[in-house]
Amino acid sequence: MGFASKSPWVIHYDASSCNGCDIEVLAALCPGYDVERFGIINTGNPKHADIFLVTGSVNQRNIAVVQEIYNQMLEPKVVVACGCCACTGGVFHDSYNVIGGVDKAIPVDVYAPGCAIRPEAIIDAVVEGLGVLEQKAEALKEQQKKGA
Amino acid sequence: MAFCMRGVRNLELIGFLILFPLLAAVILLFIKNDSARKVVVGASAAIIAIASLALVIGNLSTPPIYYEFDSQIVEIICVAISIAIGLVVLWFAYKYKNILAGVLAAIQLVGSLIFDFAFAPNVHVAQGLYLDSLSVMMTFIIGIIGSGICFYALGYMKDHVEHHPDEEDRRPLFFFLMFLFLSAMYVIVFSNNMVWMFTGWEVTTLCSFLLIGYTKTDEAIANSFRQIVMNIAGGIGFLIALFYCAGTMNTLSFIEFIQLGLSAPAVISLPVCALAFAGITKAAQMPFHSWLLGAMVAPTPTSALLHSSTMVKAGVFLLVKLAPLFAIATAPAVMVVLVGGITFALASFMAISQSNAKRVLAYSTIANLGLIVACAGVGTPEAVWAAMFLILFHAAAKSLLFLCVGTAEHHIGSRDIEDMDLLFERMPQLARNMMIGIMIMFIAPFGMLISKWATLVSFVDNHQVALIILLAFGSAATFMFWAKWLGKLSGVAGQPANVETTVHKTEWVAIYLMTVLALIFCIGLPLISSTVVMPYINGVYGYTMTALDTDILALMSILSIAVIVLLLAGTTGASSKRKVDAYLAGISVSNADRSFRNSLSQETRATVRNMYLADTFGEERITPVAEISTTLIIIGSFAAALATVISML
Amino acid sequence: MDLNFFITTCIGTIAFAIAAPILGCLISGFDRIISARMQGRVGPKLLQPYWDVRKLLGKDKVAVSGSEDTYINLALFFSLLAGGLFFSGGNFLLVVFVITLSSLFFIVAAYSTRSPYAEIGAARETLQVMSYEPMILFMAVAFYQVVGTFDVSGVFLLSQPVICTAWAVFLGLLFVLTIKLRKSPFDISSSHHAHQEIVKGITTEMSGPTLAKVEVMHWVENVLFMAWVGVFFVYSNPISIVIAIVAVILIYFFEIWVDNNFARVKWQAMLKWAWIVALLAGGLNVAFLAFF
Repeated sequence: MGFASKSPWVIHYDASSCNGCDIEVLAALCPGYDVERFGIINTGNPKHADIFLVTGSVNQRNIAVVQEIYNQMLEPKVVVACGCCACTGGVFHDSYNVIGGVDKAIPVDVYAPGCAIRPEAIIDAVVEGLGVLEQKAEALKEQQKKGA
Repeated sequence: MAFCMRGVRNLELIGFLILFPLLAAVILLFIKNDSARKVVVGASAAIIAIASLALVIGNLSTPPIYYEFDSQIVEIICVAISIAIGLVVLWFAYKYKNILAGVLAAIQLVGSLIFDFAFAPNVHVAQGLYLDSLSVMMTFIIGIIGSGICFYALGYMKDHVEHHPDEEDRRPLFFFLMFLFLSAMYVIVFSNNMVWMFTGWEVTTLCSFLLIGYTKTDEAIANSFRQIVMNIAGGIGFLIALFYCAGTMNTLSFIEFIQLGLSAPAVISLPVCALAFAGITKAAQMPFHSWLLGAMVAPTPTSALLHSSTMVKAGVFLLVKLAPLFAIATAPAVMVVLVGGITFALASFMAISQSNAKRVLAYSTIANLGLIVACAGVGTPEAVWAAMFLILFHAAAKSLLFLCVGTAEHHIGSRDIEDMDLLFERMPQLARNMMIGIMIMFIAPFGMLISKWATLVSFVDNHQVALIILLAFGSAATFMFWAKWLGKLSGVAGQPANVETTVHKTEWVAIYLMTVLALIFCIGLPLISSTVVMPYINGVYGYTMTALDTDILALMSILSIAVIVLLLAGTTGASSKRKVDAYLAGISVSNADRSFRNSLSQETRATVRNMYLADTFGEERITPVAEISTTLIIIGSFAAALATVISML
Repeated sequence: MDLNFFITTCIGTIAFAIAAPILGCLISGFDRIISARMQGRVGPKLLQPYWDVRKLLGKDKVAVSGSEDTYINLALFFSLLAGGLFFSGGNFLLVVFVITLSSLFFIVAAYSTRSPYAEIGAARETLQVMSYEPMILFMAVAFYQVVGTFDVSGVFLLSQPVICTAWAVFLGLLFVLTIKLRKSPFDISSSHHAHQEIVKGITTEMSGPTLAKVEVMHWVENVLFMAWVGVFFVYSNPISIVIAIVAVILIYFFEIWVDNNFARVKWQAMLKWAWIVALLAGGLNVAFLAFF
C-alpha cells in the first residue's frame, strides 16, 4: 500500500442538502468515531484535500461551485457522494432546479446511500475510496514518469 | 616623503571636492537648456564620484591626518555666508509673514555677527582641515550616493515638470541647490575649524529649506518653515557651543575641543549638550522629527538626498564625532541616549500605521537615525562601530528605496503601498530592486541587521537596559512594517501590463548603482570593517573592539550572496509547476482579477488591505507621548549641564 | 578567519537536517496521540505525520505563484541552518535572526500567491512574529548576560544552569513558545482545525510537495524551539542534559495541554499580552542581570 491511502484528508461541501447528511458527516468527524485513527482529517481547503465528500442533489446555483472545488483539488483525488440525494437526486430528483446527483456535475468514485446517511456508511465509503485513491496515485506516478 | 606627498595630494582633493560641486552648482543655475543640463549634471556627478573614490581608495586604513591650513579669505567668506543665510531667511520670513522664523533668524544673525567680529578673531585654528576614516566613509556616501541621486534627478525632474504643467520650470535652481548641498556636506566632514563646519551646517539648513519649499504650494511653504525653525534652533545651539569654546576654552579646533573635553568632562558638559542639541535637530530626532516628515512634499530626489547622504547624516556625523565625550559626560549622554532610543522605538511603531510609502520611509529614517544617535550616546568603540555601519547601510538602502518609490510613483500614479500590489509584475525590475532595498533594511544576513545586532551587543555590554528594551520592541515593529510592504510587492497574478518601459535611463542607472552599492556593502562588510571602521575607532580610542567577530561577519557576507542569488534566480517566474487558480471559496468569476460571485449574485473583487493597526500605533496616539517625553529629557539634560557650569563658577 | 567555524556549522547543519525531521516527526506524532487522548479518542498512529508528508510529496505539483516555491525552499533552508548553528554551539542571537529570516520567507511565500485567505494569514503571521520577537530578543540577551557569551556551547562551562538566574525570562519564553509552536490560543495565522474563517490561513495556497516542505519546516522549528527550552537547564554537569530532556518533555506536554484547553484569542489580545509579558518577564530579568 502506498501513502495516498494512509492519510486521506477530506473536504465537505453541502450542495443543497437538507442538512441531514451534513450533520452525519460532521458526526463522523467527531471524537466518537475518531476517524483520525485512519489519518482522516477534515481540511476545509480543496488544495489540501484528497477526498471530496459531497452531500445534496446539486442545483443550478451550486453546480459551478462543486466543479470549481473539484478542479482545485490536486490529483490523486476521490469523490464520495454522501446520501441518496448526492447519489441520484433522491426525493428531489424531479425538482425543477435540481441537477439530480453529484455525478451530473463531476465524476463520482464512491456512492454512499442513506437518508440520512449513517456515519458508519460514510467511514465505509471513505475506506472504499482509499482503494480508488491508491489506483489514481499509481496512475499519476506513471504519468509523471512518462512526462519526465 | 611619500606620506608627505600623499598629504599634499589629499589636501588638493579635499579642496577640489569642496569647490567643484560649487562650481557645477553655479553653472547649473544658468543653464536653461535640457540637454546641456544633462551633460553638465552627468559629467559633474561622474567627476565628483571619481574624485571621491580616489580619495577613498588612497586613504583606506588611514590614521587621522590634520592639515595646516588657515586662510583669512576663508574666514571672510564664512562671515559673508552666515550674513547671507541670515538675510535670505529673514527675507523669506518677511515675505511669508512667519514671525517665529524671522525672530530665530535675527537671533542667529546677530549672534553670528557678534561671534565673528568679537570672538572668532581672538582664536586661531592652525589646522583647518583634516581627514580620518569617518570622513573617508562620509566622502564615499556623499560622493557616490549623493551624486548618484543628482543624476537620478535628471529624468525624475523631467517627468515632474511634465506632470505639473502649471508650475514654473525652476530646474536650474533645483540642481543648483542639489550640488550646493554636496559641497556643504564636504565642508562639514573635512573641517576641523568649527566655524567652517558651522558654515557648512547652516548652508545645508538653507538648502533643504529652499528644496522643501521648491513646489511653492501652501503645504510646501508651511513645511519648509517648520524645517527652518527647528534647524535654526539647532543652529543657535551650535552657536552657543562656539561662543563657549571661544570664550572659555579658547579653541575652535574640533580635535582640541574633544581632547580638552576628555581631560575635563565637567567643563564641556554644556557645549556638548548644545552641539548634541544641534545634532538632534538636524538628525530629525524627536521632538523635532516632524520637519523630516514634512520634507516629503519636495520632489523625491530631495527626499532621497536629505534622508540618505546629506542633511540628517550631518547631524549623526557630528554626534558620532562627539561619541568619546558622551562616554564620560553624563548630562549630554543621557539626553542623546534616551532621545535616540525613544525615537527608534516610537518612530518604528508609527511606521506600522502608515500606508504612504514615503511616510514609511521617513519614519524608518527617523528610527534608524535614532539608533545611530543612541549608539553615539553610548560612546564606546563597539557602539561607534555599530553607528558607522548603520550610517553606511542606511545611506545606500534608503536612497535606493526612495529612488524606487519615486519612479514607482511616476509610473503607477501612487505612492501608497496598497497600490503597489502586483508591482512584481507591473514593474519587474523596479520591484526586485525595491525588495533588495527592503530586505537590506531589516533582515539577516544583510547590513542593517548586522549593525543592529552590534548595537544590541554594545547596549548589553554597557548595561543600557532602557536601550535594550527600546531596541527589542522597536525591532519587532520594524519587522512588521517592512514585512508587510515586502509582501505587498511580491504578489503575482494574471497578466498585468508592464508599465516600466518608459522609465528614464538615468533613473535606472541611479537605482542599479544604489542596489549594487548596497549589496557590495553587505558582501564586503568584513573588509569595510577592517579598512575603514576599525582605523577610525583606533584613531579615536587608541584601541579597537567589536561586538561581532570576523567569523560571523564572513558568514553573513556569504549568506548575503546566497540569499540574493537564490532569490533572483528563483523569482523569474519560470517554475516547472503547473499554474493554478487561487482559492476563492468555489465562486470565482475571474480568478486572475480575484473576483467572485457574492451572495446577491453580483461580482465582487476580493481585495486585502494590510494591517495598519492605527488604533494601537496611530500617530495621534504616539506623537504626544514622543514629543512630551523627549522634550522633558532635553530640558532636564540642559538643566543638569547648566548646573555643572554654575557650580564651577 | 577561522575555517573550523564554517566546517562545524556545515556539519552541524547537515546533521540537523537529517536528525531534526525525524525527531520533529515523532514529536508531532506523539503530539497528535496525546491530544487525541486528552479528547477521549485513540488518535492516529505514531507515524501518521510521516505518512501525511509522504502522501503530500506524491500529489500533483501545482502552484499559484511562480516564486512561491523559491520562498518556501529558502524558508526551509534557513530553518535548517538555524538549527545547525544552534546545535553546533553557535551564536544564539544569530540563530534567532536566521529563524526570523525563515519566517519572513514563509510570509512572503503566502503573500506572493495574492490569495485573499493566504494574505490575511500572512498578515497575521507577521503580527505573530512582532508579538514574540521582543521576548525572544530578551531571551538571547539574558542568555548572554548569564553565560558571558552568545555561543550556545558556553552553557557547558557554567556551574549552574541558566534557569537559576533567568527564570523570569524562561517563563516569558514559555508564553511566546505557544505562538512559535502555532498552538491555541495563539494559532491565529493558520489552524490545524477545519471550518475556520480564513480557511487554512497562511498555508491556504500551499499544496502537495510545497505543503510537505512546510510541514517538515514546522517539525524542524519545533525541535529547535524545544532545544531553546532545554538549553536553560544545561550546565557543566553531564546529567543536566538528562534533566533538560525531561524538562523539555514536560514543557511540551504542558503546551499540548494549553492547546487543548484554550480557545483562540484575537490578535489584539495576543499582541498585548505577549508584549506585557516580554516587558515584565524579559525587561525586568535583563535589568536585574545587568545591575546585580
